[in-house]
Amino acid sequence: MRRSIARLCLGVVALVWMAFPISAHHSGAMFEPVKTITVKGVVKLFEYTNPHSWLWVTVTNDDKTTTDWGFEAEGPSTLFRAGIRKSDLPPGEKVTVTGRPMKDGRPAAAWVSLVKEDGTVLNPRPQ
Amino acid sequence: MRKAKLSAWVGTMAAVGATLAIASTLIPVAVSAQDYRNSTEHYEALKRQAGGGAKMTWDKLPDWTGVWTRGPKGVGLRFDPAQPTLQQTTAQLTPEFAQKHKEKLERVAKGIEWDPISNCIPPGYPRWLTEPFLRDFALRPDQTLLINEMVNDIRRIYTDGRGHTPPEEAYPLWNGDSIGFWDGDTLVIHTTQLMGGQYQRSQPDYTDQVETVERWRKVDDNTIEAAVTVYDPPALVKPWSVTQRYIRVTTPGIRIRSWVCEENANNDVFQNKAGTTEHVLPGPGAGPKKVEK
Repeated sequence: MRRSIARLCLGVVALVWMAFPISAHHSGAMFEPVKTITVKGVVKLFEYTNPHSWLWVTVTNDDKTTTDWGFEAEGPSTLFRAGIRKSDLPPGEKVTVTGRPMKDGRPAAAWVSLVKEDGTVLNPRPQ
Repeated sequence: MRKAKLSAWVGTMAAVGATLAIASTLIPVAVSAQDYRNSTEHYEALKRQAGGGAKMTWDKLPDWTGVWTRGPKGVGLRFDPAQPTLQQTTAQLTPEFAQKHKEKLERVAKGIEWDPISNCIPPGYPRWLTEPFLRDFALRPDQTLLINEMVNDIRRIYTDGRGHTPPEEAYPLWNGDSIGFWDGDTLVIHTTQLMGGQYQRSQPDYTDQVETVERWRKVDDNTIEAAVTVYDPPALVKPWSVTQRYIRVTTPGIRIRSWVCEENANNDVFQNKAGTTEHVLPGPGAGPKKVEK
């Protein structure tokens, strides 16, 4: 599993400190503060909810098993202001998502950026 | 001889004092929060300066329509927008609260953080001022509703001339007991009867003795400003004055919706043994939070 996840990661990318917290509702202490991962998969469900939204992406592992990755972002009004509507990410949409992973190793992360197959970039907290 | 000199000196000083006293009634003197012993004195002084507060009418209410959010961009969770970083507070804390704040920052630096509002209780006021979501303001002559989208959190400011709840009827309230008056286009608010809490994550704590005086005014078409002075003797060496700003949200189609905090069990978190925040994370389609028995 660990190996599969490692292979799915397209890169441990930024050494950029996220100056703002992921969350204004609960602490983001459960996520890595700096390290990011990137996975490629298919949207399973976009929970456009308060106080946080969750984008669930099904990723096919090397051994053909699948893992549902969860990406946490802010709630609907913040996403709407960032130009992300629920209808932008229907089930089946192919996406590449970058996030700061959970420290405990579970397949979830704080959503940093997403690229759709057509090249559209969806960043919940645009600078 | 000595007695005569003393008598003359006393007479002169009395004359000077009387002159100053008369002058002080004629010349407006700029007063700062430091001149008041408590929030009630501060509020009452502002009310006197405003001639008791004019009775507001529908046609004189300022136009605060629109959707607003805390600004400027990048202010983050700092209680005082003027403080240089999230960690550097401008509050002058008592030694006990300075130590508590220091320890909190040390825990956060180690990745240990738990926010009491994580499972949907409201932030409480004055923290309410800093929540980074959508806001709107409903003005009526007799009361103003200051609304924060997060957990549908409303502060109700009575401006119909009533006083605070009498002590025998008072009990701690998340957003306190707020009364106010209009001084021209400025809404002056006095808030008491609050609960203890924290100004925001990584910010200092306040006690249940916290009280505030606020002056809210629309300073231009896109900015509403609130000058806030916080009184909290157990935690603050002297009153803490900050200026909060709320900026018009111009995103086309933006609306404030009902905020149902318990709608997604994937947002369930708990404080683990190390004292930090952990997700339960049941997985996709978890539905609303379950009630634990």
